[in-house]
Amino acid sequence: MEALFFNVDNGFLEGIVRGYKAGLLTQNQYSNLTQCETIEDFRTQLSATDYGNFLANESLPISTSTIADKATQVLVDQFNFLRSNAVAPLSKFFDYITYAYMIDNVILLITGTLHERNTQELLERCHPLGVFETLPALCVATNVEELYRTALVETPLAPYFRECFSASDLDDLNIEIIRNTLYKAYLEDFYEFCGTLGGPTAEVMQRILAFEADRRSINIAINSFGTELSKERRAELFPSIGRLFPAGNNALARADDVEQVRQACEGVAEYRAFFESGPGSRGRAQNGNDSQAYLLDDNADGLGDSSGAAELEDRFFAHEVHLNKLAFLQQFQYGVFYAYLKLKEQEIRSLTWIAECIAQDARDRIQDYIPTF
Amino acid sequence: MATSKDRILLAVIGDEDTVTGMLLAGIGQVDQRQKRNFLVVDSKTNVPAIETAFEEFTQRKDIAILLINQHIAEKIRPLVDKYEQAFPALLEIPSKDHPYDPNKDSVLKRVQKLFGE
Amino acid sequence: MSGAGPRENIFPTRMALTNTKLRLKGAQTGHSLLAKKRDALTTRFRAILRRVDEAKRKMGRVMQLASFSLAEVTYATGDIAYLVQEQAKTATFRVKAKQENVSGVVLPTFEVDRVPGTDFNLTGLGRGGQQVIRAKEVYAKAVETLVELASLQTAFMILDEVIRATNRRVNAIEHVVIPRLENTIKYILSELDEMDREEFFRLKKVQGKKKRDAETAETQRRLLEETQESVDITPELGGGGGDLLSSKDEDVIF
Repeated sequence: MEALFFNVDNGFLEGIVRGYKAGLLTQNQYSNLTQCETIEDFRTQLSATDYGNFLANESLPISTSTIADKATQVLVDQFNFLRSNAVAPLSKFFDYITYAYMIDNVILLITGTLHERNTQELLERCHPLGVFETLPALCVATNVEELYRTALVETPLAPYFRECFSASDLDDLNIEIIRNTLYKAYLEDFYEFCGTLGGPTAEVMQRILAFEADRRSINIAINSFGTELSKERRAELFPSIGRLFPAGNNALARADDVEQVRQACEGVAEYRAFFESGPGSRGRAQNGNDSQAYLLDDNADGLGDSSGAAELEDRFFAHEVHLNKLAFLQQFQYGVFYAYLKLKEQEIRSLTWIAECIAQDARDRIQDYIPTF
Repeated sequence: MATSKDRILLAVIGDEDTVTGMLLAGIGQVDQRQKRNFLVVDSKTNVPAIETAFEEFTQRKDIAILLINQHIAEKIRPLVDKYEQAFPALLEIPSKDHPYDPNKDSVLKRVQKLFGE
Repeated sequence: MSGAGPRENIFPTRMALTNTKLRLKGAQTGHSLLAKKRDALTTRFRAILRRVDEAKRKMGRVMQLASFSLAEVTYATGDIAYLVQEQAKTATFRVKAKQENVSGVVLPTFEVDRVPGTDFNLTGLGRGGQQVIRAKEVYAKAVETLVELASLQTAFMILDEVIRATNRRVNAIEHVVIPRLENTIKYILSELDEMDREEFFRLKKVQGKKKRDAETAETQRRLLEETQESVDITPELGGGGGDLLSSKDEDVIF
């Protein structure tokens, strides 16, 4: 049924986004980029792709952060074009996508406000996708309730804040907890919203969001080892969606080390693979860390642990890319927009990574990017 | 040299990445009056601001080592070259975008002058 | 000869000579001691110099690795620079100054003093926390290298200063103080010699004069003697009033 009417409202945009998708860098282009000797070469190579001359006006030497900024600007422009042409409920879907960035911006502003930083400077650092009208007003708040009443009540983030009122004062620990609580609420809300859209959208998006939720749960579990974050608080930060929920989440909440996290994830076949350190991938990680070995030889144990976890992060990224690519296999659904945004973000990350490797002459790690197509 | 006992902090003047890294290592100290022992220099920071920070850090009594990115030291080179105190020790460090050039280091320059014959 | 170099303004006496000789001896001992100190410091200095050079090069590599680990963080979590800047509160990475004594020169060395802290523990909780932890470790190691380098460099600066001062002193003693004292001694000696000679001459002169005087006296005495003799006769001749035999005295009746 939705296939019949989908194109009336969204056919144009879907066409556009699939066109954008065709402009994502290919494996071939990636390998060309990795061959570059200097950032200058890198720029020349990029100008042959869909990025065109986006770096043309930059004065040398180009820093990697400039590349990232400019590439993000390209993405933001594309996104805004899509968004301004969207009609409900797709426009609502786009709004949901921006909430994630809004959360980051809000957290950034709160942090800055706590330390009495210049508002203007803070606003410049906000992610362009997450800017909203009342954002500057956040700077006046000193605690969560005030923040909520003065500024956030107007924003779509308001419902997410309800859970944060337990944290009455804003300190740095709480801010990180607030961020994760907000994100959890956001994921759950987005998940539900996608459910109401029904059809293939729900199917595709919920798969992606479920993975996102699980990834967060696993990460939070691993990263909270050895911190003052109690297990109860930790459990509260796990999104109540995803394939690990509820049994896996409970196990994660009790986990004390990576091994227990691994056991918690046993229940899901795909996730099991993340924790298996195959000989091939191990070798690669080993290779990359060789250069650091002399520096860190005295805490080799700790490093072995964290490089395993860092590798896990890479696999998460790879899996995310995989899921997003799957989203393009289905037509007549909104998942493509989300997937495109995420793929593009991943591409920017990969570009920045390659540029970083070139700039710092770390050729042995240059292959560690996650190719999109 | 009794004062050297009170010098326990490191200070850093550098670009964003350098400062972030140093702070991750745990050198950051912010006192009650929001005075920090680090300065982030970006394209908008002007030279007098760097100079002021340099003067401030070199005059503070609790700083043992002052780290400064070499490319930033270049901007206030006359001041850096003139600096001859043993405390705080001034150390020019490389930054991500500007590899280390031993020929510009004010200390190594002196080394070379010593062997310059 | 005595006017050839600068000398101390001193009255050339034997007392002064003894004093100056003592001082020269002192200066020479001082010179050799200082020269020894200088040699010891220079040995140390060269060792440090080599290490400074090494460490500076190592620093380049270490910092590169460190910034690379930060790139990994950025890759995984996005930009955390601002959060990190804002969350910095108390330094957990500090240094302790220790002192080392090299030939009487106090060299401070910095030692890393890390207290376990909780800053940034939750940074990247949702994503990339492992990279953050790793970057923390790598940077901590890098900063340790920097601290080591800083101690070397401070030692370098102080040693440089001390060696220069010592060199100045050694040179001053060698080229100013000692020649001056030597000149003084020479001066005193030559003055004393001169005085000796003068004395000798004077004595000779005195002797000569004395001799001459004696001679004169002698001659005079002799002359006087002679004259006295003649005078003695003359009165006899004159005073006698002529030949007794040929003269007749009216009183003589016979």
